[in-house]
Amino acid sequence: MALFSLKVVTPDKVFFDGETEQVILSTVCGEIGILARHESYVSILPPGPLRIKIGNEFKTAAISQGLVKVSKDKTTIIATSVEWHDEIDIKRAKEAERKAREALSKKLNDLEFKQAEFKLKRAINRISISSKYNNK
Amino acid sequence: MASANMKDIKRRIKSVESTMQITKAMGLVASSKLRRAREKSDKVKLYFDVLYETIHEIISENRTYESMFNGTSNNVLMIVIAGDRGLAGGYNTNVLKLAQNRYNELSLSKNVIILPIGKKAVEYFEKRNFKIMAKYTNIAESIDIYDAANISDRIVEAFIAGKIDRIELVYTSYVSSLTQEEKCVSVLPIENEGMERKNNLTTYEPSAEEVFRMLIPQYVSGILYGAIVDSYAAELAARRIAMDNASDNAAAMIDELSLIYNRARQNTITQEITEIVGGASTQT
Repeated sequence: MALFSLKVVTPDKVFFDGETEQVILSTVCGEIGILARHESYVSILPPGPLRIKIGNEFKTAAISQGLVKVSKDKTTIIATSVEWHDEIDIKRAKEAERKAREALSKKLNDLEFKQAEFKLKRAINRISISSKYNNK
Repeated sequence: MASANMKDIKRRIKSVESTMQITKAMGLVASSKLRRAREKSDKVKLYFDVLYETIHEIISENRTYESMFNGTSNNVLMIVIAGDRGLAGGYNTNVLKLAQNRYNELSLSKNVIILPIGKKAVEYFEKRNFKIMAKYTNIAESIDIYDAANISDRIVEAFIAGKIDRIELVYTSYVSSLTQEEKCVSVLPIENEGMERKNNLTTYEPSAEEVFRMLIPQYVSGILYGAIVDSYAAELAARRIAMDNASDNAAAMIDELSLIYNRARQNTITQEITEIVGGASTQT
């Protein structure tokens, strides 16, 4: 299958910069797969999985929040953070989940609630990806 | 008398020496931290460039967003980033001076609210009783994107609610290890003057407006994060230069003082010899 160039950047690093056959990611409107010569497309990414085909296999990463932009010659994903499934620190993620739940049980204003909720979503996403794809 | 003078000089040499040790240590610390800060800011730049490019592409393809924010509150928010500590040459003064100038300009027609980041900025604006929205200190060194997002969420919320019309950012940019440049940039609304409208063939999901709306927090936190990291690198570079200069000055001072000390020492010896010779000649 045809390859296309993909770049995944976060504030801390260039997470991925290379050619791939297919990327699967979940946007706010549901899961999409991107192949070479996809139409121009922009969407927002909530916390969710990012699957990149490397060689003959898909490798999964956890994405915390971001943007995907497909244009004629390249696909770009901008995210606040991305981790491969085997890089996820499960202890830290569980701790973050606990803290977020604790925060949510308190009385919060709208903004605080949104932030805590987002934190919880991120933690759950990392935990689920880590437990689904590790130890295999 | 001469020996008392010599003691004074010796004490001064010692005190300059210990000052020099401090400035040298501070210079070394600043330069090793600078390396890390530079690596961080380079990476952020890359991220932000892509973000910036994307958001401007969306704007150039769409005009729909213009109607989304029509603030009429006449409030401007000015984010000012300065250091948490002094001893960094003109770093703090320069950026605060620029902020003050910009404030004077804006306050002619607008109501300006300040959001200071860094202890020096907070102190400056609190002392002068400026209207402050929120303040943040001691965050620059270990900041991550989520800290920046926590700050920018508040700003964006106020902007979307129409409490603020305009957001500007005053910070210092690291140009090279020898130069830093104070900058004042407009954050929101995103300016699109002079941009050509392109054909809109891109699919936006769920819709262009929605994508744009959801992108704003990410854009602002990206700008803010980049500016804080950039400013921190500039601060360290300024501190390193200031400390290097201070060490050089201290070394020059020590040289001068040692010269005076040696001259005084020679004088006392000469005097002692003359006294001995004088004493001996009277005895014979």
